[in-house]
Amino acid sequence: MTFRITCPVCGARDVYEFTYGGHERGPRPDQKDLSPEDHFRWAQFRTTRTGPQEEWWYHGAGCGVWFSTWRNPATNREEPRGDADG
Amino acid sequence: MDRLSTSPTAKIDRDRSLRFTYAGKEMRGFDGDTVASALWASGVRTFSRSFEYHRPRGLYDLEGEGSSGLVAIDGVPNQSSGTTPLRRGMTITAQNVKGSPDRDPYGIIDRFDRWMPAGFYYHLFHRPYAAWPFFQNRMRGLAGLGTLDIEAGYDAGTRTELYLNADVVVIGGGAAGLTAALEAAEHVERVCLFERRPWLGGHTDWRVREHEGSPLRDRTLALAEETTANDRIRMFVHAPVTGVWGDNLITGFQVGPRDGNRPTDGYHERHWECRARAIVVATGTLERPLVFNDNDRPGVMQADTAWRLARHYGVRPGDSVVFSTADDLALEAAADLLDMGVDVPLVADARARGHDEHLLSRLRDHRTEVLAGWAASHAHGRRTVSAASLGPLEGGEGRRVDCDVLVAAAGRQPEIGVLSSAGTRFRYSARRAAFEPVTFEPGVFAAGRLLGFADAAAIEASGAVAGLEAARTCGCDVQTRLADVRTNAATLPDPVDGVPHVTGPDLGEGRKAFLDFDEDGTWKNAGQAAARGFDVPELAKRFGNFGLGPGQYRVPGQNLAMAMAELAGRPLDEIACTTVRPPLVPPTIATLDGPGHDVYKRTALHEELEARGAVFRRAGAWERARYFSDDETCREEIRNVRERVGLLDSSPLGKFRIFGPDALNALQRVYISNMATVRRGRCKYSAMCNDTGNIIDDGVVTRIGEDDYYFTTSSNRAGATVEWFRYHTRYDGWNYNLVNITDTLASINIAGPRSRDVLSRITDADLSNEAFPYMGYREILIGDVVRSRCLRLGFVGELSYELHFPASYARYVWDLLIDSGADFGIGPFGLEAQNCMRAEKGHVIIGTESEQRVTLLDIGMGWMWDRDDTASKKVGAPALRACAAQGGRLKLVGLRFDDTAGRTATDGPADGALVVHRDDILGYVCTTRYSESLGYRYGLALVQDGSTDRSSSLELFQDLGDGPRRFAALVVPPHFYDPDGARLRS
Repeated sequence: MTFRITCPVCGARDVYEFTYGGHERGPRPDQKDLSPEDHFRWAQFRTTRTGPQEEWWYHGAGCGVWFSTWRNPATNREEPRGDADG
Repeated sequence: MDRLSTSPTAKIDRDRSLRFTYAGKEMRGFDGDTVASALWASGVRTFSRSFEYHRPRGLYDLEGEGSSGLVAIDGVPNQSSGTTPLRRGMTITAQNVKGSPDRDPYGIIDRFDRWMPAGFYYHLFHRPYAAWPFFQNRMRGLAGLGTLDIEAGYDAGTRTELYLNADVVVIGGGAAGLTAALEAAEHVERVCLFERRPWLGGHTDWRVREHEGSPLRDRTLALAEETTANDRIRMFVHAPVTGVWGDNLITGFQVGPRDGNRPTDGYHERHWECRARAIVVATGTLERPLVFNDNDRPGVMQADTAWRLARHYGVRPGDSVVFSTADDLALEAAADLLDMGVDVPLVADARARGHDEHLLSRLRDHRTEVLAGWAASHAHGRRTVSAASLGPLEGGEGRRVDCDVLVAAAGRQPEIGVLSSAGTRFRYSARRAAFEPVTFEPGVFAAGRLLGFADAAAIEASGAVAGLEAARTCGCDVQTRLADVRTNAATLPDPVDGVPHVTGPDLGEGRKAFLDFDEDGTWKNAGQAAARGFDVPELAKRFGNFGLGPGQYRVPGQNLAMAMAELAGRPLDEIACTTVRPPLVPPTIATLDGPGHDVYKRTALHEELEARGAVFRRAGAWERARYFSDDETCREEIRNVRERVGLLDSSPLGKFRIFGPDALNALQRVYISNMATVRRGRCKYSAMCNDTGNIIDDGVVTRIGEDDYYFTTSSNRAGATVEWFRYHTRYDGWNYNLVNITDTLASINIAGPRSRDVLSRITDADLSNEAFPYMGYREILIGDVVRSRCLRLGFVGELSYELHFPASYARYVWDLLIDSGADFGIGPFGLEAQNCMRAEKGHVIIGTESEQRVTLLDIGMGWMWDRDDTASKKVGAPALRACAAQGGRLKLVGLRFDDTAGRTATDGPADGALVVHRDDILGYVCTTRYSESLGYRYGLALVQDGSTDRSSSLELFQDLGDGPRRFAALVVPPHFYDPDGARLRS
């Protein structure tokens, strides 16, 4: 498996240069009165999608920037946000 | 040696004879021969025995299309005889052979095929189930390919690797590929062309037929010269493609040019990868085998095999060669062989019409009989072909003709391996009688004979179109040129038709008519698979092992899909041919392994440590001094630190500066303590957790200015720290800068009761306990030159100072310390001594005394957690809250052993020994050593909470291969040496 990811700073590079940071799941929830269930749902649960999803990538072998991009895990290609639910 | 008269197409140098041995006999070939051509020329007819039935197998192809031609060379098994150049002194042996290739007693298995239907190992020999291992072993002994000699100590030669980027990659160096490369190079800068064979020219390389006034070969050679001279095109020959991956990454290997066995370009074989913006696939065609009875007999071969034996190697394929084929190339081969003096009495062509009249008249001139609409039905002969039966495909009386070679094929099928691995979809074309590419992934184009073109100009024109399309994908304006080339292409001949036949006439049940030679898959087996419901190609492939052998898709090829359509009664256009999977050509493991570069970091003090007898061991990314003597218990190193003073090169320690208005916010997010209390001149010890509360790092933080902090991480965490900070603050838009200065700064730890005395000799800074207490931080000047950060810490449990200073001064500072400490007995100590001393002190190492099940609280460090802070959204805090009261977790405890556990390093328990209670495992020992300082063996262990009474004894179990041993240990607090910390603060 291999594909390319477009870093906003460095441009399209081999995926080997990046670390995957999971799909977008919103900022760290407020910890005041946060139930363990809600915390672990946010921290651990991942969905498997076949359409475009927003994902976080870190360009560790390049500029060292975390960025989010839309990609379709079914084709491994970057795709603009589709009609799939956000 | 009986060789034909020389031909301009010959690859052999008749002046350079090479000696080799085969089956114990000495033989000779020529430089330029392949192993296969040399063997065939020396009279060898049976090359191997088949996988299941031990049937004799001969030279079917010269392209590495299957197991029939695999041999062991100099002890290395499974080498393709057809593609491996002959070298002087080779020792060649046949594979899967008992006795000799010609007389193999296991050949008797051939008679028992009734007991070995398709998929027999899935449903036979399993009743009773206990019988299976017995039969499995038997079958493994009988079936198979080459044998790997583990003891042989293979010399893989020099293996290198090459990583390329290109605008356009062309796969295939025939007329279409060369034209595509030239057209693309008119528009883009970087074109790479990969050719599987050791030479360019593809299928025209051995064709002397005239086309527009000159031989085809010359026409393609001219193209090859032009391509090679073009400095925008990089050529790779003898470089098979193993696969095409996402976003047009092409992988393969290349066999390096050699003089004898010496590489002349620096490598024997190399792995390459090329990222392309567009790909042109011009891989040509393969012959589609004809399925008839005993179609695997040695002597049955492809048309190209007979043709190339004669044209490339001057080898007479046989004394009497009969053809049963279905395309004009085969007719041309027959006519060519006749021209070269080979007897071809009969040519059967499965096509009823559509033959090239010029070729027919050439055959007639040689008085060769041509039977249109006929095909072979049977190859006769016990070990090799002695005669062939042929018959009309429409039915009717056949005939038998004596021959020693039967050239058999059902026409040509596109070589779809590369395209298929590039995600191309195929559909059956009734006109071509083949599966054709219909939908391509972006940036993938096909050209040449692969698309069915047979006319030389049409092949080149399709290459030109594909090359221009590829350039257009790269953003070039090719509109005008493409229109011209398309107009020209439209005037040229269309792709040629094929025949839909898979089988010859009078097949019967097809017990010995092979669809796949590699796994002995017969027509009958295909029927059995269909009858059991595995009636589409992808299912039959797996159930009947069609195309799973070394040749992969090549020999069953499109025959499998066409056969399943016929057997299951489905229309072909509803059937998909099987997907071809990488590696398309098997690379050797040694080549994939590559040069095995050992990549690691050395500290600036490496030579100093080496000169003092350091024994280095790998620790993460670093090579570090582990010991300074043969004594792995480090008694002297430890004693020196405990009683006098020692030096540790701790340069790999993670070192970071974070500054900016939001630096404190970022620290509060990732550190578990309240970082607002970090003060100037003081080190604060803290830790980082992950979102499940596991402790992942520890270190100290100090403030060095307004919104400016300096902190350390463990050596193994240094590489991940920037990523970690930025990940966990990525939504906040905070303004801070984080700089990794790990490699910029060297670090030396001066430890021991005399460390203050040593350091005070090389600095004017006030080091008194009052001015610079434990956990203090100062910036001091060393030797009047070096500005150094100085941290008064005590990881090993003694008075100690850590100096962090620019790495370029490392040797200077080291020498100063060694000189000024000489009369105190200063000496270096290594990581093992540090490990013993810190464990005695009860200081943990993350990853040794912690693991993925262990939280900050579990190792007794909950005191550092700022529990009330929810506003900072500390990473790990919610998880710590959730598990704070959980029972049954692993907890860190200290262990104390009595003398029965041994007084030396080797006779007690080892790290990793299990903590047990009867048959239950309660935990394990993280670190255990015998301590001279303490006078007893101690340990740090992770043990299930609540399972033991803290005052009671624990039982330990270990089996290191010398039999099970059990030990008893007392549970004690995990601080053994100087528990009050008086020595740290002295």
